[in-house]
Amino acid sequence: MIQYRFGDSSVDLTAPVEDRLTVGDPRVLDFLAKVARKLLAPAVARRHPELGSLGFFLRPAELNRAVARMQRDDAVVFPRGNVFHVPPANVDTIFVYSWALSALAGNHNVVRISERSAAAADTILAALNEVLADADPVIGRTQRMITYGRDNAITAALSQWCDLRVIWGGDAAVEAIRKNPLRPSARDLTFPDRTSWAAISADGWRAATPASRRDAVVGFSNDAYWFDQAACSSPRTVFLVGSQTSDVRAEFIELLLEVVDQRGWAVDAAMAVEKRVNAYEMAATGAISAMEFPKNSVTAMSLTAVPSAPRRWIGAGAFPFAEVGSLLELVPAMNRQDQTFSHFGFGLDQLREFALALGGRGVDRIVPFGQALTFSAIWDGYDLPSEFTRLTTIAA
Amino acid sequence: MSVFTLPQAEKEEVLLTELSALTEHHRRNSEPYARILAASGFEKADSVAELPWLPVRLFKSLELKSIPDDEVFKVLTSSGTTGEVSRIYLDKHAAAEQTRRLGATVQTVLGPKRLPMLLVDTKAMLKDRKSFSARGAGVLGMSTFGRDHVWALDNDGVVDLDAIRGFLDKHGDAPFLIFGFTFLVWLHLYEVARDNGLDLSNGILIHSGGWKKLIDQAVSPDEFRARLAGVGLTNVHNYYGMVEQIGTVFLEGPSGGSLYCPDFADVIVRDPITWRELPPGETGLLEVISTLPTSYPGHVLLTEDLGVVHGVDDGDWPGKRFSVLGRLPRAEARGCSDTYREAA
Repeated sequence: MIQYRFGDSSVDLTAPVEDRLTVGDPRVLDFLAKVARKLLAPAVARRHPELGSLGFFLRPAELNRAVARMQRDDAVVFPRGNVFHVPPANVDTIFVYSWALSALAGNHNVVRISERSAAAADTILAALNEVLADADPVIGRTQRMITYGRDNAITAALSQWCDLRVIWGGDAAVEAIRKNPLRPSARDLTFPDRTSWAAISADGWRAATPASRRDAVVGFSNDAYWFDQAACSSPRTVFLVGSQTSDVRAEFIELLLEVVDQRGWAVDAAMAVEKRVNAYEMAATGAISAMEFPKNSVTAMSLTAVPSAPRRWIGAGAFPFAEVGSLLELVPAMNRQDQTFSHFGFGLDQLREFALALGGRGVDRIVPFGQALTFSAIWDGYDLPSEFTRLTTIAA
Repeated sequence: MSVFTLPQAEKEEVLLTELSALTEHHRRNSEPYARILAASGFEKADSVAELPWLPVRLFKSLELKSIPDDEVFKVLTSSGTTGEVSRIYLDKHAAAEQTRRLGATVQTVLGPKRLPMLLVDTKAMLKDRKSFSARGAGVLGMSTFGRDHVWALDNDGVVDLDAIRGFLDKHGDAPFLIFGFTFLVWLHLYEVARDNGLDLSNGILIHSGGWKKLIDQAVSPDEFRARLAGVGLTNVHNYYGMVEQIGTVFLEGPSGGSLYCPDFADVIVRDPITWRELPPGETGLLEVISTLPTSYPGHVLLTEDLGVVHGVDDGDWPGKRFSVLGRLPRAEARGCSDTYREAA
């Protein structure tokens, strides 16, 4: 059973469509700009702060920048064709980022929205549908969002239909969906399980003003708590870079407790138990040597060694800490699974040296605290606008 | 001989000494447990409430035992809802002790002699010894306290009215034991007794297994008791226990409505925000305490069940009396992962 959440439901999803969109099609630009305005409305942003960032991303200036990146002088750029998106269930905004960039590239899109999608997703869909009512009908005919249950036949049919399949949601999702063959000309864009980290330069921290330390913690708390610390980009382990860093850690935790309290982010009993279970497990296996539970909102642990840093989710507001002498000491512990490395107190040269030492073997994004969840057109090491287009070369 | 004898203050004194010693015993003999204590900074407890608890779910992910491999006599498993399994390691001593203490506990209400026993379950459930369920373990554990066992359900799980009638004809005029899971008793014994006019007035019912399914059918514990009394069954004892503290059961007193702790066990209700002990009347997470786990560090466990202490030293038996009110839901991440589940 297919439930249509957006777009024309009268025509079969995989039926050929006469309409053609262009790269940076003005009708799509116009549509997305109107959606942006709805999401940036104060009432919406207050209820779902993450939709504010999404609205920002969809503003015309941002979109035009993305379109400009699709243009090339060595080839003519066209839409890739039909794109099938399988976004994650619980990070409510990803499906829009993924879809919007693809629509902007002129593709015909089908987005599978999970049955388990949360409240913010409904708000977004309501906004999309309100704008659709007055939009050019080509939008509804070429852009569809659907929900269906455990029906592999639909996934199989859409996999045969598409030129590009975009799979979010981790290793298990990628493996499950990949069992459905694509046409020989089509390919996958996959977003498997990722791990993200945070690092504080002890020297940078000590040199910073109290106000900028606090700002850093506010940014970090957004990064960590918005998606229960479970988004691919949510920082988990915090590396304290320097020596004798216990003062930095203590102040950081103290500020974090304060900020989280002010924001009113509560961690419920079930989550508190989840964090205890995970912390006790790590203690039992020797991965951590100390655990503190100052409040349910913040669990702090001391890692016995950098490689013991967990790569799985261990609960909302669970922070293993480890001290290292320099960023370069982290290089051997990083791998392909590592996505976002958010930082405070480092200079650009230190970060650059770190990135060069990593040599692309891990870590796709190095961003300051507060920007870990900020989506951008370059994501997980992919240049999405270029993934969503195809190139024709002409030589006379 | 009752095992429900100690007033709370006296019990806590005994338990604090025994459990402190047990904590040190497990610290010496289980390295993972010692690491947990070290990481949490635990040194010593000045009250039962200060004893270090383990989340009960740890037994699903860790091998926690305080005996060498060659002394493992029995490994008990319980299947959880998510397919994870607790593994509980017993040596000969612990295995014998848990049977003995469970016996002493139920004999408080059954008397010293084995009674004819009607099992409200199906024999078929015991067949697959490998995937032995908690239900099977409960039935087997309890069946040693009865004799002349009769199964109330046939191999297909359908009520075997002839078998029940036969049992009652033979044993119905003297005390007999009925054992089963709460929901099965409701569905397959109460309704059948009511519809067929069976006389269960000499029965002593011991039942367990949670109220969720009954609450779903809008049957409260009080209603359950009242309706069973309607078919003559007035000796009814619910109990609460778990494989992670095998041998320890918290038993409902004769007047109903409250579970009591045997002398070697206790409960603490904790505030899931401050983690402090809550006073009677306030609902929180149940911590269960028992001196029986000597072969694995399960003597102080934080369950994921919600409960409330109703009173102390003011009921049928001394000590705390309490109720289990339901389960804490499992925390779920809002993460990027786990978006797509294949059709089953």
